[in-house]
Amino acid sequence: MAWRLYSLEPLRTEALAGPGEDPPNLQDSGGSYPFHPLEEPWEAKGAPPVPWPEPLYFVDGRERAEALIFDGRRLVLLGCVAAGAVAFAGGGMRLLEPRVRRVGVGLWEPLGLGELVYEPLPLEGGGEPLSPTALQEGLAKARALLEEDLAKGLEGGLLIVDGPVRLRRQGPVLGYIKTHWARYLPEDKEALIPTLRPGERTPMFRVRRGGRELASWYLRLPLPPEGVRPPESGLLRVETPLSPEAKGLADLSLSLFPALASHPVKDPRAPQNLLPVGSLERELSRRMGSRDLVGRILARYLGGG
Amino acid sequence: MMGGPENGQRIGVVLGRREATPLEFWVGVEGEGLLRLDDLVVVEGYHPKVGRVRYFGMVDHVAKAHEGESYDTDTFLAVEGKIPVSLAYVAHVSVTRIVPEEFFPPDPGSAVYLAQGEDLELALYYEAMKNQRGSTKLPAGFLKNGEVAYLNLEFLNGVKGGHVNISGISGVAAKTSYATFLLKSLLESGVLEDAHQARVLLFNVKGEDLLFLDKPNLRLSPEARRDYEKLGLDPGPFRSVYFLAPPKKGGEGILPNVETRMEGVKAYYWDLVQFAQKGLLPFLFADRGGMSNLGYLIVHVTEKLRRLAEGQKGPHLLVSDWPGAELPEEITFDDLGRVRLKSFAQLVQYLEYKLLGPEGGKGEGDSTWVARQARGTLEAFVRRLRSSVENVGHLIRGDRPGNPPDPLSGSHQVHVVDLAKLSPQAQMFVVGSLLSDLFAKKERGQYRGRVFVVLDELNKYAPRDEESPIKDVLLDIAERGRSLGVILIGAQQTASEVERRVVGNAAIRVVGRLDAAEAERPEYRYLPTSFRQRALILPQGAVILHQPEIPVPLLLRFPFPAWATKREEVLEDNSAEALRREFF
Repeated sequence: MAWRLYSLEPLRTEALAGPGEDPPNLQDSGGSYPFHPLEEPWEAKGAPPVPWPEPLYFVDGRERAEALIFDGRRLVLLGCVAAGAVAFAGGGMRLLEPRVRRVGVGLWEPLGLGELVYEPLPLEGGGEPLSPTALQEGLAKARALLEEDLAKGLEGGLLIVDGPVRLRRQGPVLGYIKTHWARYLPEDKEALIPTLRPGERTPMFRVRRGGRELASWYLRLPLPPEGVRPPESGLLRVETPLSPEAKGLADLSLSLFPALASHPVKDPRAPQNLLPVGSLERELSRRMGSRDLVGRILARYLGGG
Repeated sequence: MMGGPENGQRIGVVLGRREATPLEFWVGVEGEGLLRLDDLVVVEGYHPKVGRVRYFGMVDHVAKAHEGESYDTDTFLAVEGKIPVSLAYVAHVSVTRIVPEEFFPPDPGSAVYLAQGEDLELALYYEAMKNQRGSTKLPAGFLKNGEVAYLNLEFLNGVKGGHVNISGISGVAAKTSYATFLLKSLLESGVLEDAHQARVLLFNVKGEDLLFLDKPNLRLSPEARRDYEKLGLDPGPFRSVYFLAPPKKGGEGILPNVETRMEGVKAYYWDLVQFAQKGLLPFLFADRGGMSNLGYLIVHVTEKLRRLAEGQKGPHLLVSDWPGAELPEEITFDDLGRVRLKSFAQLVQYLEYKLLGPEGGKGEGDSTWVARQARGTLEAFVRRLRSSVENVGHLIRGDRPGNPPDPLSGSHQVHVVDLAKLSPQAQMFVVGSLLSDLFAKKERGQYRGRVFVVLDELNKYAPRDEESPIKDVLLDIAERGRSLGVILIGAQQTASEVERRVVGNAAIRVVGRLDAAEAERPEYRYLPTSFRQRALILPQGAVILHQPEIPVPLLLRFPFPAWATKREEVLEDNSAEALRREFF
C-alpha cells in the first residue's frame, strides 16, 4: 500500500532546545551525584579577561518533524534536520555552510516527493510499528549525528557545542548546558551558586558520563537588570573533557560566555542562548525551508490524512 | 564575469522574495558587484511560447541591509563579532523597455547584466531617435556613467512635441544655465538641421547673467572643455548675440541701463506710433481679468489708437481733436495745427481728456472713445494708465524713432532682452509685446526658421489663478506654437504656480533642485518617488530630465558654461589685435 499522509502536525512542530537538558537519569537513584572537586578551595572564581582563541567554532543543530505518514501498517516520521557552525575569526562571526537533510524515520528506502527527498533512517525494532515518541527520538538522533559529522570537519581552534560534550575531537571542546535538571553538587557546595556574580564561576568538579571523565563548572551570565531575578537565572553549566588544559578553558570561559550572553529584550531564552547560536538557529530554520510550503508539497503528493 | 547579453558585466540576479513584474523588479547584487542609482541593466527572460525577451531598466533604488538581524541593535553585535550576519545589497529596477514587447515577468534568479554599448542605446531608445533625414539625438548632458545622454529633438523642435519646462529653486538649480546649455546644443550640435535659420529670444530676468553670452569663460577648466568636445560642441561662447536693454530713465540721450557690460548693448523702446499701431495697450493691464467691462474698454481704446496711428510715421503721435484751450503747457503743434504727442505721459493725458472730458470739469468724454462705459470704469482705466507712466514712460516714447527688439530681423541669431531693471509692470509689457509680435509674425509666415523663446519666472507671466493678456499669449505659444515653429523654453521656481496648460504642453520637463514642499506637489508626479527625493539634493550642474519616449527620467550632469555668466568670468582678449581695435 502506498504511503498516505497521517498527520501534518506530529508531536512537536519543532525542537528548539535540542539536547540542552541533562538527561535526568544521570542522577543516582535516591542519592546525590558523587561529588569530586577538581579545584580548592570551594569559592567563587574570577579570571582576568583574555582574547578569544581563533578560530572559535559554535556548532548547533535543529530538527523539525514535518509529517507522520502511514501505509496501513507502520507509521513513519518525515522530518528535517540541520546542523551548522559559526566561526569567529579575524574579529568577525561568519556563518559556515550549513547542512540540511530530510529524513524519514522508520523508512527503509528513499521517498521522493516532488523536489523533496527523504532519506531512509531505519530504526531498531525491525518491522515492528514504532511509537511516535520513538520516531521523534530517532529524528533527534539524526540531528545529533549530523551535528557530530559537521563538527568533525572543523579543524583546529576551540569548538563550543550546545549541550553536553558527547563527540570526540582532536582539539579542545566546551559544552554548555542551559537548563539544569540534574544536581551535581551536594547541598553545602550548592550554596555557592546563588552567590556567584556575573562573570564568576564555581571551582571545577568532575563529571562522569558514558565512560568519559569531564571537568565541569557553573558560571553566571549577566542578565540585566541584575538582582531582580531568581538566583538560578543566568546560570550556565560548562563542561570539557578532563585534561590538563581544563583549568585554562574554565578561565577562558569567563571571557567568552558572559560576552556572548543574549539580552532578555531580544531573546526569551536569554541569557543562556548565546548570541551567535541564536543567529545560527534562525538561519538553520530558514534553510529548512518554509514549513507551509513543505506541508503543501506533502499534501499534494500524499493526499489528505 | 563575462557572458550573457552583449557581454555586459553580470551584476546579480532577479530577486524572488519580492515580486518581479514586467515593469519593475528587484535585483540582488552579488559578490563585489557595484550597482548605483541610474545604472542601466538588462535581463533576459524566456518563455517557450514567446521565446527570448529582454528587459531593459534603470536602477531607481538601492539598499543594503543586514539579513539575520531582528533588532536594530543587532548591528552592534555584528560589528563586535558576536553574531553572524549576511549583507544584502538589493536594487529596484524600473523597466524602460521590453524587446519584443511581451509583457510577462522575468524569472526570479535570472542573471542581471549592466547595459553597455548597444544595450544602453536600446534601454534609452536612442536607436529610435531618428527620422528619414538622420539622427535626432540631441546631446542633453551626461549620464552618471559618463556617457552622453540624448533627448529626441523631435520632441523639442515641434515635430512630435515641443517646448521645454524647467523647474528649480533659484541659485543652485541652474535653470538658466541648463536652458543656455540646451540652446548651445540646439544651435551647434548639427542635429537641428536648419540651425542657422533658428532664432533665439532670451529674456534676462535677473542680474546681468546673460549679458556675456558672447564672451569666453575664464574659469572653463580643461575637463569642462573635454566635456564639450565629448558632446560634439565647441567649448566657446555663443557666436552671434545681440544685446538689448531698456534705456536709462531721464537724462539726455538714450543709453542702455546696464552696469557691468559697457559695449555692444543697445537700448530698446517703442515709439508712440508703434505702440498704437501694434496694439500694445493691453499689455499694460496685467489684471484685466478682474473687471470684464474694463477688458472691453481696453480692447476698444486699443482699436481707437490703432486707427488714430494709421498712416503716421512717428515717432510722435499726431492728434487733431484736442482743442488748444484744454492743452497742458508743454505740448506743441505741428504745421497743420495738429497736436504732437511726444511722450507716453502726454498720450495718457490725451486719453484722459478723451475719456473723462476736460480736466477738473464735470464734462463728459468723447462718446466715440467712451464706448458707453460707466464713469467708474473709465476712471479705473485712467487711474491704471496714469500709474503706469512711471513704469513704462522710458520704454514708450515719442521723442525718437522706436527700436523695439525684433529677434526675427537683423543678422544676429540670439537676441538677449534685459528685463532685470524694469518694474514688474514694464516686464509684463515687454514680454507680452514681444511675444505677441513674434507670434503674429510667425503666424503670418514672415519668418521661416524656428524661434526659441527662453523665459524664466513663468509663474509671473502665466500664473495659475489669474488672467492676463500676457498669459493669453503664452498659452497661445504653448498650445499652437509648436506647429508654427515657436518653441518656449520656460522656467520657474515652482511649476505648481504656473498655468497648467503651459507646463502641460511642454514635452521635455527638466527639474533642478526643488524645495521639499514643492517636490510633493502633483505637478511632479511624473517623477518616481526616488527622483523626487533626489531633486531635493541635486548638486549644481545636475538636472533630472524627462522626455516622452523614455518612461523613466534621467539624471544628467551638464558642463560648466563655456561663456561668461558675469563680468569677472569674462576672459579678456589682450591680444595686440584686440587692443588695437579698442584704442584706434
